[in-house]
Amino acid sequence: MMEETKMTTKTDHYVVIHPLDDVPETKVDTESLGPMSMTRSVKLSLMSLRAYLILMVLLVIYHVVILAR
Amino acid sequence: MADKTLTVGAPGIDVEVLPARGRVVNSKWTRDLLTFLMVFGPGLIVMVADNDAGAVSTYSQAGAQYGTHLLWIVLLLLPVTYFIQEMVVRLGIATGKGHAAMIYQRFGKWWGLFSLIDLEAVNFLTLVTEFAAIHLALNKMGVDPRYGVPMAAAALVFIVLSGSYRRWERTVVLLCLLDFAWFVIAFRVGPPIAQIVKHSLVPTMPPGGITPDLMFLVIAIVGTTIAPWQLFFQQSCIADKRLRFADIKWARLDTFVGACITITAAACMMIVGTASHAHGFRFTDPAQMAVDIGKFAGPLMRNALLLLMINAAVLGTTAISLSSAWAYGEVRGWPHSLQLPWREAPGFYALYLISVAAAAGIVLIPRAPLQLMILGVQVLAGVILPSAIIFLQLLLNDKELLGEHANKPWNNWVNWTIIVVLFILSLILAAQVAAPNLFPSATGGPIT
Repeated sequence: MMEETKMTTKTDHYVVIHPLDDVPETKVDTESLGPMSMTRSVKLSLMSLRAYLILMVLLVIYHVVILAR
Repeated sequence: MADKTLTVGAPGIDVEVLPARGRVVNSKWTRDLLTFLMVFGPGLIVMVADNDAGAVSTYSQAGAQYGTHLLWIVLLLLPVTYFIQEMVVRLGIATGKGHAAMIYQRFGKWWGLFSLIDLEAVNFLTLVTEFAAIHLALNKMGVDPRYGVPMAAAALVFIVLSGSYRRWERTVVLLCLLDFAWFVIAFRVGPPIAQIVKHSLVPTMPPGGITPDLMFLVIAIVGTTIAPWQLFFQQSCIADKRLRFADIKWARLDTFVGACITITAAACMMIVGTASHAHGFRFTDPAQMAVDIGKFAGPLMRNALLLLMINAAVLGTTAISLSSAWAYGEVRGWPHSLQLPWREAPGFYALYLISVAAAAGIVLIPRAPLQLMILGVQVLAGVILPSAIIFLQLLLNDKELLGEHANKPWNNWVNWTIIVVLFILSLILAAQVAAPNLFPSATGGPIT
C-alpha cells in the first residue's frame, strides 16, 4: 500500500486510490503454511463428512440412473 | 484508506510521487464515500446474482401458494446470508486468493478436488436452469429462443472479454440495479403495506399449518438464498479486485447493502406471486405468472416481469460461470483474472466460454432432460453446501492463516448455529429429492 505522505502545509488532502491502481499489498503467504494442523476431533469430523458426501453422491448417481431409464 | 494523506510540499522538501490514478479529495466524508464506491461491487453482485432464475421461481411460488405468510422467513435470512458472506470477505482480503485455492492448500488434494468437481458440476447444472428460464421468458415475449438464447450467451461472453475487471463490474452492477424494478412492481400489484409489514415482522403460519409441502418450500427458500457458488465467487472476486486490509469495513458494508437489496427483492418476488394468486391464477412457472399478471396489470407489467426474469438469469449465469472459471484456474495454477486479456489467460476464459455455450446449447436441444438437471442441482447443492460452509468456518478459525481477522467466539456461535440448521435442512431436502417416498404426503414434488 502507498506510504503516507506528510509535508508542511496548512490544509490536509486525501488521496483515494482504486484497489486495482494501488501497489499490491503483502498478503498471508498461504503456500508456505502447508496443510492445516487439526485436532483429532476435527480430523474425525472431516472423515465423517467425507463418508457422508461419498454416500450422498452415490445415492444421487443411483437416483439419476433410475430416473434416466 | 485513512492513511493516504497528501499534502503539498514546501520548497526543499522531498515530495513522494503520487499514485498515477489516485483521486485527491478535501474532506474525510468525501474520502469515505469515494473509497466505498471504489470497493463496492463484489458484495452487491454476489447477493443480487443469488436472486437468479431459480430464486425468482421459488419466491414467486411461495407467494402464490402461501401469500405473504412466509415473508418473515425471508427477513430472517438477511443476517444468515450476511454473516456467511462476511467470512468470505475477511478470508479473501487476508489471503488474496480464492476459496478453491484455500481448500486445496489447507485441506489437501482430496478435499480440493472434491470441492472443485462438486462445484463445477452443480454450477453447470445451475447454468442450464438459467438458460432454461431465458428460453421460457423469450418464448412468452414472442422472441424465437433459437436466436434469443445464443444472443444472450454471446452477450454474456462479451462482457467478460474486455480484459478489464472494472468494465465487467460496472456492467454487472448496472444489471444488479435493475432489480429495483421489483420494488416498483410489488408496490403496484401487491397487497396493502400494512399486511406486508405485519407478515414480515410477526412470524405467522399460513392457513393449514405446517405441512410437508410447506416445509420443503421453506427449505427451498433457504437453499436458494444461500448457495455454495457464492462462497467461491465472492472470495475470487475480492482477490481479483485486489481489495486491501484497509478495505475490510467497506467490503463488509458492500456485502450488507447487497444482502439488504437481495432480501428486499426476494420479498418483492413473493409479493408479486401473492398478487397473481389473489387474482385467481394458479402458479406453474414465473414466465406464466408474468403473463397472468399482464392480464390485470397491463402488458408493460408483463414485459417488465419477463425482462426481470431474463436479467436474473443473466446475472446468475455470469456470476456462476465466473466462480467455476476462477476456481478451476486457482486449482490448476492458470492465470485467472478479468484484468488479463484473453490471450494471457486462455484457460480461464475458455472455461467460462465453454460453460456458457454448453449450457445454452443444452436448452436448445429438443426434449433435453431439464427436469433431471433441476433435480440434480437441488441434490448436489444440498450435498455441497454444508461441507463448503464447514470448510469456511474451519478456515476462519485458522489463526495461523488469518491472525487478527480470525473468527471471534461470538462469530463461531452464530456460524455453527447456521451450519447445524443448514445441515439439517439440506439433508432433508437431499433425502426428499433423492428418495421422494420417504415423505409420501409431500404432493408438490421437488421444488425448483
